[in-house]
Amino acid sequence: MQQLNPSEISDIIKNRIQGLDVKAEAKNEGTIVGVSDGIVRIHGLADAQYGEMIEFDGGLYGMALNLERDSVGVVILGDYENLTEGMTARCTGRILEVPVGRELLGRVVDALGNPIDGKGPLNASMTAPIEKVAPGVIARESVNQPVQIGLKCVDAMVPIGRGQRELLISDRQIGKTAIAIDAIINQKRSGIKCVYVAIGQKMSTIANIVRTLEEFGAMEYTTVVAASASDPAPMQFIAPYSGCSMGEFFRDHGEDALVIYDDLTKQAWAYRQISLLLKRPPGREAYPGDVFYLHSRLLERAARVNAAYVEQFTNGAVKGQTGSLTALPIIETQAGDISAFVPTNVISITDGQIFLETQAFNSGLRPAMNPGTSVSRVGGSAQVPFMKKISGGIKLALAQYRELAAFSQFASDLDDATRRQLEHGERVTELMKQKQYAPMSVAEMGTSLFAANEGYLRDVAVDKVLDFEAALLSYMRSEHAEFMNDIDENGTYNDDVVATLHDAIKKFKDTQSF
Amino acid sequence: MAELATIARPYANAVFELAKRDDALADWSRMLEVLTATTGYEPVIRLLDSPDLPATSKAFRLAEVCGDELDDRGKKFLQSLAEHDRLGLIGEVREQFEALRAEELKSLDVEVVSAFPLSDAQSDALKQALSNKFGKEIAIESRVDQGLIGGAVIRAGDMVIDGSVRGKLQKLAENLGQL
Repeated sequence: MQQLNPSEISDIIKNRIQGLDVKAEAKNEGTIVGVSDGIVRIHGLADAQYGEMIEFDGGLYGMALNLERDSVGVVILGDYENLTEGMTARCTGRILEVPVGRELLGRVVDALGNPIDGKGPLNASMTAPIEKVAPGVIARESVNQPVQIGLKCVDAMVPIGRGQRELLISDRQIGKTAIAIDAIINQKRSGIKCVYVAIGQKMSTIANIVRTLEEFGAMEYTTVVAASASDPAPMQFIAPYSGCSMGEFFRDHGEDALVIYDDLTKQAWAYRQISLLLKRPPGREAYPGDVFYLHSRLLERAARVNAAYVEQFTNGAVKGQTGSLTALPIIETQAGDISAFVPTNVISITDGQIFLETQAFNSGLRPAMNPGTSVSRVGGSAQVPFMKKISGGIKLALAQYRELAAFSQFASDLDDATRRQLEHGERVTELMKQKQYAPMSVAEMGTSLFAANEGYLRDVAVDKVLDFEAALLSYMRSEHAEFMNDIDENGTYNDDVVATLHDAIKKFKDTQSF
Repeated sequence: MAELATIARPYANAVFELAKRDDALADWSRMLEVLTATTGYEPVIRLLDSPDLPATSKAFRLAEVCGDELDDRGKKFLQSLAEHDRLGLIGEVREQFEALRAEELKSLDVEVVSAFPLSDAQSDALKQALSNKFGKEIAIESRVDQGLIGGAVIRAGDMVIDGSVRGKLQKLAENLGQL
């Protein structure tokens, strides 16, 4: 516990009292006429705007969501147990806002931006509305810089660019969050700021994630927005928008940010609950009619903006810098059903998806990515040249392997060429396995993929492939450190690089054991 | 109640337009007042709630109770309410009618709750200030509530201006509670 300093406390109180504005001002007031499951109906409040913060007695706030002729439907952002019929509610004239800025890095906040990590007040000087319109066409720049996730299978086959929206989709417990956390940990190298939005998860799970991030030094550049399963549905509904606003701060100030929504299925559930309680008509799977817009307006805010936009936004304080907000939304399917309502919606909104398969997971392939159905529609042009050249062969090898895999049980009857392809595919598949919390740099990924491409794995037993990789990388790091650093920095691919890699791998195989 | 207001609106609008056309706003206001007062009377409530009478005969009896206070138009109004079984809406119709009437006459009822009784000079000054603010004729209804400690709360429809010491203390308490 921090030592309490009495003079300090009375100073704080003095400042608070001095700063308090007690001017009497005209306020629009209404009376609660009904309270039900976190929804209140208020008579009066003729001036209420859509999405406006409504103030109740005792510092409780709500958000106006239904504006009807004689009443306003308000969702309560907090404990609604003490609200009763006949209490008054006031308009605040403000749309819901959250604190934003660098002060939030390293903090855990709730959906309204209140700190919940016990590290004291945020002291953030800026706020931003949670709902903002996404930048238009003129403000945008094409996606041509990579976000390195640090996983071989993702960075080689479904590369992600800054400003892209890439969906992570699978059943529960297959490793969606694991990929997202690895992505955050890997940003230590890149300086991309991260926002992790946890929606409808257990508090213990969130605490574990925060601890993991702290362990790997990733909390320094990360904000965690937590709306746990026990938080009211409106908090789970607004959490992604809050997190997005926090990430947008960096985008608009010419920096790069990565936001992870874990997961949007639960947000859609929360929104469905609110909508049904507000008596909006249910549609497919009982979701309201605007559930597509719920996700499309959120994901549209992930974008890469050009230098002119940043300069205009910061009033000329930041010049010549583009900004980006990359989004990794997560969707959980039920028994692999990707044709359910919400998964199809989000698949169609995003710029690609990473499918994780239960079957692959159970057969020991982790990350359990399905290389056939996982795509990235814009990331290719953002890949560093080194990775781009090398990953082509990997994709091809896996595609051929998938085609032939059905014949693998008749291996003895196959011709040599087919058998070689099968064996190569097997090794590449094995090479795609990667441990959790061990993201790799571009040079490391490239080196091991290069070895596979060029056939250096041919005489390595399948179950020794990962050992071979580990030994090779540690050899490269100690013997060719400069070369590896150079690739990490520049990512160039030319004949010299190819020659160096060939020499190094040959020498490794001749002199080292694994 | 929100839903009642929605149902009562067409009746109130109809009555208001009729009254305006006939230049009989005051008459209608009086009739609605009588009807509202009558329907609040215990035996009448029982009559209106009784399940074994059709709505039209309830309306007929209600008109009888009111006697001369209700003219032909008033009786027809009751019958048309009864046709749709909406006799329970009289109070709501009156409220909306009065709101429309106040709008038409550019008058505004303001409730002023103060910690101490207002002097005439204070009341006039307040009236002047409010009439400047809202651009309407102000009718002040004042009330004393010592719980405010000091100052006053002004309530005009949805608009509330809280200048009381109690309100300020509450604000302070909320502000300090966030520490």
